[in-house]
Amino acid sequence: MSTSTTSSPTSASTTGTSGYAVSRRRVTGLARANVLLMTRNRLTLLYGLVLPLLPLLLLLSGERGDTEIGASSVTTALLTALLFPVYYNILSLVVSRRDELVLKRLRTGETRDAELVVALSLPGVVTAVVLSVLTLLVGLAAGLPAPANVPLYLVGMLVSSVMFVAFAFWTAAWTKTAEAAQMTSLPIIALAVVGTMSAAFPQRFAEVVERTPTGALRQLVDLSWFGEDGSRSVGFVDSWVAAGEPVLVLAAWTAAAVWLAARALRWEPRT
Amino acid sequence: MDTTTSSRPDRRPDARSRPAAGEPAIRVRDLRRSYGSGKQAFEAVRGVDLDVEAGTVSALLGTNGAGKTSTMELVEGLGRPSAGELRVLGLDPVADRAALRPRLGILLQRSGFSGDLSVRETLQMWHSTLSRPRPVDEMLAALRLDGRADTRVVGLSGGEQRRLDLACTLMGDPEVVLLDEPTTGLDPESRRDVWSLIRALRDGGTTVLLTTHYLDEAEALADELAIMHEGRIVRRGTVAQIVEGHPSVVRFTTPDRPLPDLRGTATTERGTTVVETDDLQRTLTALLTWADRDGVRLTDLSARTASLESVFLEVADQEGSTR
Repeated sequence: MSTSTTSSPTSASTTGTSGYAVSRRRVTGLARANVLLMTRNRLTLLYGLVLPLLPLLLLLSGERGDTEIGASSVTTALLTALLFPVYYNILSLVVSRRDELVLKRLRTGETRDAELVVALSLPGVVTAVVLSVLTLLVGLAAGLPAPANVPLYLVGMLVSSVMFVAFAFWTAAWTKTAEAAQMTSLPIIALAVVGTMSAAFPQRFAEVVERTPTGALRQLVDLSWFGEDGSRSVGFVDSWVAAGEPVLVLAAWTAAAVWLAARALRWEPRT
Repeated sequence: MDTTTSSRPDRRPDARSRPAAGEPAIRVRDLRRSYGSGKQAFEAVRGVDLDVEAGTVSALLGTNGAGKTSTMELVEGLGRPSAGELRVLGLDPVADRAALRPRLGILLQRSGFSGDLSVRETLQMWHSTLSRPRPVDEMLAALRLDGRADTRVVGLSGGEQRRLDLACTLMGDPEVVLLDEPTTGLDPESRRDVWSLIRALRDGGTTVLLTTHYLDEAEALADELAIMHEGRIVRRGTVAQIVEGHPSVVRFTTPDRPLPDLRGTATTERGTTVVETDDLQRTLTALLTWADRDGVRLTDLSARTASLESVFLEVADQEGSTR
């Protein structure tokens, strides 16, 4: 050893700060790397950012102020924002990082599992939330009525994001390779798409469809944006009351997805 | 290496919870690990005892499948033992993970990187996860990666990737370093680099436990080594201690007349005589004196003291055949 640098560790000061600050630093650093990786892969970028913007064009194309088309365009935009940046993106991220042994390597350090989960999910969830705000703005620009209950709209989107994150981790657990995700993602994608189409089904089926994850989301969109509870018009306060059932349905699906994901989660490829 | 991770007299100003004086940095007693259950159950680690003294380098030597990696993963806290006692710096690797991890540097048998990140981006990411990281640039220089900082990981050679992996391992300024086959698959030059790095770590007071299946590596680096076979540690100690009690071997083409007393056990097989002896000098003296006096020409004469290799091969053969 011919040279000897005696600089002290750069962030020795962080040892005295709260666990929250340390956690936030780790999550930010890891999420930053995930964003970098998303932007380096054109396909991920296409699916994660460009595709979810397309349904917004539907909003602009319909007759101005048509609430029927408006509601289904908004729902489609949100559905795409949940399926691609959140569900599919996180699914393929988890599978490829796991197979590259990146997750295993990270788990040998100080990073906690929960921080790893948040860092993997954050870019997709932030994208989805930004997209839902963008949907709001494009909707208004396209002449849709002002939303009746914006907080409810955002709560619905946030809970749905968490649910799709959990579905992504669960699906990843039994997805062997990143390519296989194209197949293994189909059941959840199908369930999500069918859920938004309750209007297309006869009454008896429609009631079932409304209890699927995205069926509940569709109801929340009707309530929070258009103030519609079935055929009844509701105001801000009543929209909260009427939201009870779909919110419960969403919460139940979310709990089930989290439970499934937590049981199945794997950090390294099967040997 | 001409650059170094540095020896820092003040590197651990706050004496964090250390094992009691005289307590080894790593202490393992009757450690067991099973995979699966019922009829498919397989016990990969079958009662391992191991002590690694603070500031020393220990090597866990063994053939593939001996249980080295399974043992390491327990020490690292990546797996839970099915039985036994395990302390690293006086702490439980799983239960005391949060307190222990900042003081450990771990290198897995296979590196895990995202190919699309550059070397610098990878180190920056790792840097963000540590509570007391050394600067990225310092690690780049120490591992001779400064010229490759902006190269994507996918474009690195195997040796460079391993050095990047080591940069992550050492960035947190660990007190205990756990290296699982640090040089497997490396070219000779990269291997020497890693060796110098490990020696520099020891000189700086770091405790190192490494696994390897290269005998020369264990012999060159380790103060103490343990030979592992089928889930157990079958020999332990310094090279001298391990080799002690194992006979030296003299071989020559069997001459056409009877041998004198060579103070060892002689066996003859396919025209070659093999003499095993505990006192090589006396055996050789007896043999050469006799040959000189009787004018015998000893063709293909060779003499070897017991080596790590001979002990290792014997262990692999014997223990294997008893099962």
